[in-house]
Amino acid sequence: MKTVIKTNGLSKTYTNTAVPVKALKNINLEFREGEFTAIVGPSGSGKTTFLNVIGGLDKPTEGSVAIDDVDISSMKESQLFDFRLNHIGFVFQAYNLIPVLTAMENTSFIMLLQKRPKKEMEERAREMLEQVGLSDKMNVRPSQLSGGQQQRVAVARALASKPDFVLADEPTANLDTESAFNLLDIMARLNKEENITLIFSTHDQRVIERARRVITLVDGEVSKDEQFERD
Amino acid sequence: MSLLLTLAWRNLWRNKRRTLITSSSVFFAFLLATALISFAKGFQQQLTESLIRQETGYMQVQDAMYLEEPSMDHIFEYGEELKKAIGEIGSDIDYTVPRISGFSLAARDITTKPAMVNGIDPEMEDRLRNLSSNITEGEMFSAGDDYAVIAKGLADMLHIRTGDTLILIGQGFQAITATAMFRVGGIIDFTIPELNNRMVFLPLGEAQNYFAAGNRLTSLIIMPEHDEKICKVAERLQEMLDSEWYAVRTWGELMPDMVELMQMQDTVYRLITWVFYVIVGFGIFGTIVTMLYERMREFGIMLSLGMKRSRLAIVGLVETIFIGIIGITAGFVAGIPLVLFFRMFPVRFTGGSAEYIMNFGMEPVFPFAFDPMIFLEQAMAVFLITVLIGFYAMRKIYRTDMLDASRQ
Repeated sequence: MKTVIKTNGLSKTYTNTAVPVKALKNINLEFREGEFTAIVGPSGSGKTTFLNVIGGLDKPTEGSVAIDDVDISSMKESQLFDFRLNHIGFVFQAYNLIPVLTAMENTSFIMLLQKRPKKEMEERAREMLEQVGLSDKMNVRPSQLSGGQQQRVAVARALASKPDFVLADEPTANLDTESAFNLLDIMARLNKEENITLIFSTHDQRVIERARRVITLVDGEVSKDEQFERD
Repeated sequence: MSLLLTLAWRNLWRNKRRTLITSSSVFFAFLLATALISFAKGFQQQLTESLIRQETGYMQVQDAMYLEEPSMDHIFEYGEELKKAIGEIGSDIDYTVPRISGFSLAARDITTKPAMVNGIDPEMEDRLRNLSSNITEGEMFSAGDDYAVIAKGLADMLHIRTGDTLILIGQGFQAITATAMFRVGGIIDFTIPELNNRMVFLPLGEAQNYFAAGNRLTSLIIMPEHDEKICKVAERLQEMLDSEWYAVRTWGELMPDMVELMQMQDTVYRLITWVFYVIVGFGIFGTIVTMLYERMREFGIMLSLGMKRSRLAIVGLVETIFIGIIGITAGFVAGIPLVLFFRMFPVRFTGGSAEYIMNFGMEPVFPFAFDPMIFLEQAMAVFLITVLIGFYAMRKIYRTDMLDASRQ
């Protein structure tokens, strides 16, 4: 399987604090196509920073991030906007759907920004909402959906544009057990069916138990990188 | 673009009450401003019309030197050249009003007073300003008559009544001494003291004889068929006449003080409307600032997802402009019928105020002008303000730190 993401000597130090904080220290990792990876570790271990840097939301202080052999760490902001739009899907802890758009429109949002043909966009959005079990909520706005339903729309949004990989920052943190399992089932199925690389940051044992690869970060360093066989 | 418009429009209605209140402030400012300017323009039009009727007409042919030195030395011949030129312009000229005017001394017995002697064509003067309707005693002369009509104030000062004889002594054309006696056949009442204490009217021919002026005039008022053709008619007429002898002057050139006064009035009214708009502008600004801060996290997320700053900034600009457009549209919908209503059914002055205004030859009403340009100008002013505030929103979005905003 081809390498989707490769980090080389990745470090990130925050200098806008009273004392400089080394959030990531010399991280060398590779993520392959179709992987289902959980990044775990205690609070402040650098999970979110790692996702931000490999997602092109933040820049490393040292080292590089290559996505499909393209070094994104030296890209300008405008190039990064295009890169994120066309290559990366995001799922956030607090769902972060656009409140004035319906579930259908939220799912189409990335494709709208990509200016995909309307028909293709609608078909794909409908398909994704069916996949996440929300075909009856297409024209409903986020305020009328439960937390679990909103997160499923967020997953549909992230996957609809068929990105190279999806970064999910603690996606189950705000969900009850049933919703969390439901979401994980959907994500695992989509991971298999769409062969999309999924990388989670999480504290949630339920997510860790589903992941085929678990990377543990401690104080900004990789302390463990384990592979598991899962169904 | 439709995504950006959809986002902007729906964002606006996330807090309906706030949007309605802000748009209402735009609406009321727009309505007040258009009503104020429509009234000011209406008043100016009425005043101008009155002054044009009472004083200068829309334009005059004069001797080229008369404006600088208004004396009997600078009168012009109403001859074939001028009549031919007027005839050639044809249907663009509705009618003309000939006048010869000069200062003289008016006397009876041992009392002498300065007077403005006006030789007029009574029919044309009636058409222009319904002069004979002010006669309070006797009657207005006709073209063939040889008696004088004297203003009431002057008549009182000279103790003259109809049937008495008025003596006039003055200077005629080329410094000839002008003297004549006229029977007073009518007394005319002007409520404006300046006119009431000075005016003496004679039939045009009698006045030309008195001033030894032959067929000469001090002014020939030209009333065009359509007001908007004043400048065009004046230019054409001037081209056809020898500019060494004749000058064609519009009412604006004849009453520069009035034009200046109107411009000053315009400036004051515009300043007042801008005060409205500045107040409203701060209201819109407050709303936009609140809307921006409320949605910082959302902006961060949209940027994270790959929405370009420029597109997000356009959403901010369009939202601000929408607030203005809602207010302006409501302003048009309510303002046009309101102004039209007050134009068709103006509020009338009553009692002493009405009489005072009528003294100036004006109708005693609050006049409203209906001019689409007034609405367009005000709409442009509001649009400009909303665009400026929109630029602030754009700048704020451009400067948003994506990660900081996403964490809010």
